[in-house]
Amino acid sequence: MTDLGALGSQFFVGLSRAMILFVVCSGLSFVLGVLRVPNIAHGSLYMIGAFSAYSITKLVAGPAGFWLALILAPFVVALVSLVAERALFCHLYQREHLMLLLFTFALSLILGDLVKIIWGAEYKSIMAPEVFNGSVSLLGASIPRYNFFLLIVGPLVAVGLWFFTNKTKMGKIARAAAVDREMVGAVGINVSWVFAFAFVLGCFLAGLGGALVAPTVSITLGMDHNLIIEAFLIVTIGGLGNMWGAMVGSLIFGLSQAFGVLFWPQFAIVFPYMAVVIVLLWRPTGMLKSVW
Amino acid sequence: MVQRILSLRRGILLVLMFAVLSFVIMSAPAEARNIKVGIIDCYSGPAAVYGNDALNGFKLALEEINKEGVLGGKIEFTTRDTKFKVDIGLNLAKELVMRENVDVLVGTINSGVALAVSDAVSKKEKVPFIVWISKDEKITGAAGHRYVFSTADNTAQGGKAGGVGLAKKPYKKYWIAGDDYSYGHAIADSAWKNLKALKPDVEKVGESWWKIGEPDLVPYFTSIISAKPDAVILCTGGASMTNAMKALKSTGMAAKIPSWIHTAIDHAVLKPLGAEAPEGVLGTIQYLFYYPETPENKAFVDAFQKAYGNPPGFPAFNAYLTAQYIADGFRKAGKIDKEKFVDALEGLKVKNPVGGTVEMRACDHQAVFPIYFGVTKKLPKYDFVVASDITTLKGSDVLPTCEEIKQSRQK
Repeated sequence: MTDLGALGSQFFVGLSRAMILFVVCSGLSFVLGVLRVPNIAHGSLYMIGAFSAYSITKLVAGPAGFWLALILAPFVVALVSLVAERALFCHLYQREHLMLLLFTFALSLILGDLVKIIWGAEYKSIMAPEVFNGSVSLLGASIPRYNFFLLIVGPLVAVGLWFFTNKTKMGKIARAAAVDREMVGAVGINVSWVFAFAFVLGCFLAGLGGALVAPTVSITLGMDHNLIIEAFLIVTIGGLGNMWGAMVGSLIFGLSQAFGVLFWPQFAIVFPYMAVVIVLLWRPTGMLKSVW
Repeated sequence: MVQRILSLRRGILLVLMFAVLSFVIMSAPAEARNIKVGIIDCYSGPAAVYGNDALNGFKLALEEINKEGVLGGKIEFTTRDTKFKVDIGLNLAKELVMRENVDVLVGTINSGVALAVSDAVSKKEKVPFIVWISKDEKITGAAGHRYVFSTADNTAQGGKAGGVGLAKKPYKKYWIAGDDYSYGHAIADSAWKNLKALKPDVEKVGESWWKIGEPDLVPYFTSIISAKPDAVILCTGGASMTNAMKALKSTGMAAKIPSWIHTAIDHAVLKPLGAEAPEGVLGTIQYLFYYPETPENKAFVDAFQKAYGNPPGFPAFNAYLTAQYIADGFRKAGKIDKEKFVDALEGLKVKNPVGGTVEMRACDHQAVFPIYFGVTKKLPKYDFVVASDITTLKGSDVLPTCEEIKQSRQK
């Protein structure tokens, strides 16, 4: 019998992993929903977010550097994505999905090489500030403080995104464009800039995810491709383009992994993927309504 | 008549031309030529940091070697990037052998590439192949053959060093965890087999395995902590190594449960973590730039630091040895001949950059060097965490015996 403390810590740790996945996947899902672009380069932007966070903490020492990195790194990524959108993506929205897949895959390779040229091939690492050292005891479970922090950030991002898409004019236009882009154009809205904004916002979330994950992992080339497969699985099981779907998918993925590790550690790897298979057999279009 | 003279002249001319041509062709091998080394390794992606370190160590050694020359010529090299992929590595190795006519193949970090090249190129085309980073024990063990050599430590050796080191500790209940691919499992098997042999009362309470490159090890570690083992054998490497060290610290596992990780005390692992690396993690490695503090090691580190801006890691050490083996091997062989070179390498002793010599064991073509067993610790001298309380395990004590190698090859 596994004791309650172990169950609790697996639950919270799984939940905190799900929060990082959610931040990245909500961005991917948003771009998928509004622009219909399956953006494989999303993982590369997440990687750039982590590397930018590293550079910022090198420039500004101490805890201030970390907080600054958390705020500025996503904007660096947003800037990169804005350039990519205006120079490349905006000409390609009408192409078929296979073309877009190939194009974004190529872009991910280019961005990967760019990261190597700028930051080199060595592993980088940043440290969370002093306040996050040690762990928090919660209901008999001990959770690393940083993971606890992630539990707070995740819901904040979710609420922020919900507020943006439902309560602001820009968000409403973006949602409308997702349903019928011609109609939005017909009422005199500059669809091109709506798309650019939506794309940059999605990529901003990738950058935020990268900055958030940076203190917990080694920042390295290849972290993009590790993530992007999981991210696509998550948006698929959640429902393509559905923001709450990204949340549900992330929770399924993160929690099935954490509990798999506890109950059947030798085969923990298969648990999240088994969860994906079960969800897709049961609901082929994902848990929540897909916008596609 | 005139025509006959003409055709005679033409005949003489042809004979002369033939003579000149054959003279040119015949005389070529007698002239000194450069030794061509073909390097296949990974220069992109996360493994590039190791590939570049090895290449720098090799270049540094060549600078010295080429001042003196080998058999009247120099050692030159060309590199190819395998991108960590077996099929690419295999094609590049073939290209180096068939088109570039390299005399020796060298590489690589990926065990899969090393084993494939060893079997399909080195063994088949009879080209000497010196493996310098990848640690699969099969390379010079079960899959070893006449043409393959290794200057890298291997999983049998790393695991045995861990087993020997851990057997001296009082721990009884062990948990085993690691990367779910050949390297992780090979280290785990070797460490556990040797530990169990030296200390039969140890007990395995559980295992967990994660996929290679798994970004978040925290759930794995929290579940290990709740199982309360005495110690953990952690079998991870490369980029996952930093993740493991961070998770060891953030979950508080480093302070609660001692873990042993092969290469945990590697500078490439500890440096990016700075002063924040966890203390108390046990590790093993064959090269440390700050230990032993011999004049030879100091000179090697200074030269390396000056040339490349950072101290050498273990791949640089392995590659430095590799260059010495190529130079001294051909010198001993007396000519650029692959078969003679292979014969010359067997039992050959070359200069160890930390002092003393390193022997290429004749029975399995494995370079024999000591392994250091230590624990991570913050010292005021450095702004990063280093290995301390180091014990040196003799090379011959931590390698499988020639008898064991023979048995594994018969299977």
